[in-house]
Amino acid sequence: MSTYTAFGLSIHSDMQLPALLRSNNKKIDIQIIRGKVNKKGLDAPEQTRLFSQLAVNELWLHVPNIAWFYVSNGNKIIVEAENGSDEQSIILYILGTCMGAIMHQRNRLVIHGNAIRVGEGCVVFAGQSGNGKSTLAAAFHQRGYSILADDLAVIDEQGKVQPSYPQIKLWHDTAKKLEIEISRLKRIRLQIDKYAYPIKDGFCTIPLPIKAIYILNNHNQDEFLFEPIKGIAKFNPLKNNTYRINHLDGLGLKKQHFKRCSQLANQIQLTRITRPNDSFELNTLVELIEADLTKKELYV
Amino acid sequence: MNQNTHSQANIYWLASYPKSGNTWVRAFIANLLHEEPEPVDINKLHTGAIASSRAWVESALDFDINELSHDEIDLLRPAAYCRLSQQMETPGYHKIHDAYTYLTNSEPLIPAQATKGALYIVRNPLDVAVSFANHNHCSIDKSINKMGLQKYSFSSSTKGLHNQLRQWLLSWSKHVVSWLDAPDLNTLVVRYEDMKQTPLTTFTQIATFLELPNNKNQVTEALEYCEIEKLQMQEAQKTFNEKPAKTEVFFRKGQVGDWQNILSDSQITTLIDDHREVMQRLGYLNVHGELSTTPSYNQET
Repeated sequence: MSTYTAFGLSIHSDMQLPALLRSNNKKIDIQIIRGKVNKKGLDAPEQTRLFSQLAVNELWLHVPNIAWFYVSNGNKIIVEAENGSDEQSIILYILGTCMGAIMHQRNRLVIHGNAIRVGEGCVVFAGQSGNGKSTLAAAFHQRGYSILADDLAVIDEQGKVQPSYPQIKLWHDTAKKLEIEISRLKRIRLQIDKYAYPIKDGFCTIPLPIKAIYILNNHNQDEFLFEPIKGIAKFNPLKNNTYRINHLDGLGLKKQHFKRCSQLANQIQLTRITRPNDSFELNTLVELIEADLTKKELYV
Repeated sequence: MNQNTHSQANIYWLASYPKSGNTWVRAFIANLLHEEPEPVDINKLHTGAIASSRAWVESALDFDINELSHDEIDLLRPAAYCRLSQQMETPGYHKIHDAYTYLTNSEPLIPAQATKGALYIVRNPLDVAVSFANHNHCSIDKSINKMGLQKYSFSSSTKGLHNQLRQWLLSWSKHVVSWLDAPDLNTLVVRYEDMKQTPLTTFTQIATFLELPNNKNQVTEALEYCEIEKLQMQEAQKTFNEKPAKTEVFFRKGQVGDWQNILSDSQITTLIDDHREVMQRLGYLNVHGELSTTPSYNQET
């Protein structure tokens, strides 16, 4: 048994979670337990999907060839490995999909994005996988910015992003682009060419109010576009960039989620960035964002 | 070929090797379904997602697939297509460039249970080679080489994430044969050359196969809206979202036989040597192995 801290919560785990910060906290908020999971699913599912079932406060998930997971009440993840699966793969789903569901169950708003510290607050880079969220976060880290979150930007009821795990996951090509020595990094799974880039210095361990969100997009043209999104138009991008949005209905959380999105829309500045999908200068994009952050007066 | 009777089969696959007329067919379908008296915007050819869309496949699963290998994702694709097909209320028309292949567990990538039909569009490889070079922003020799590779694939990098899943194209010949000989699929094969030379007949046949409006006026009007000149005119006014970044224009010429002006004798010889059997099967070479001047093909033979 080991205890860790993430998202402002104390996590007690049967499995070693090397990506997380250790903690001595006696209080337990979330338990990760190796145990038996019903292979057939939930007793009374509200929604049955291809590999998951959902009910109020319950998620049952089967990732073929990896594991079965049962996530309940915002405080417990039970995992049963499939024969022959490896621990690294299981942990990725615990720290991703399962922890996302735990946060939903705790009524936190989870944006699919990375968060960095800017001034006394933070900004989030959101967008579909492959749009460059982690690349940007890592590039900002190299420029001396602190990192709060990679992939799951968990926003608490005070509108603050809670620190997640002190690492950024980077694909081989991204690490190379950032001139990071790959031979010093560990693969997140042996099956893929993606690495854990540990954030030793510059991980922000305190929650910070979210000031802005950038939604990342790309197109087959050469220009970078920055389009501010105002008023009620902010709602849909927030909804659409919510982590695993399709789980919320089955978890019985759709109404609360709408409310949380509306609250967040009032709190933040939102900008859509469209960048070239082909080769482009990462530094150019970082500098354009820095200029925009200055314009937004977020460095104070 | 077998008609399949699965009630949950709602997907029509628009299958082809790249640069064989797939986008033209999608523009035709979009215009046929469009009720306004004007051509559909080239950036709104929403006939259905491409089979290799990462987002589409992931939407059917309930977990992230971004940290799975290409082979691991492929094993999930048949179940995803069955699920997506089940959820459709009306048939979807989905482009696919993957060859018809079998996975490591011997299951086909394209499940018959999800497939209402497969329209296979094929084009003379001599013309494909020219167009494919433009599309890939490479020399014609390179394009010919790619078409001959037995295990050619798109989006197969293992070092980064692509919004398209890996697609095994195989060689041009293997691609064609994989679909033409796919068991348990209701398949219609059409040739690009017939789409150009006898458009009304060929597109009526396509519309009928895809259970789309197929009367003469509707087909004629949809065809007018997606004439190559009109698509080119639209592309001149705005960027086509599906154009690769380095390619100058997507809707290039759309001609039959342009290879005669472009390919060298040795390039022609290489293509014929690489694809003789399948070119003969499709009528691009006559029985003596010579280039057909008036190619004909009857898929029943």
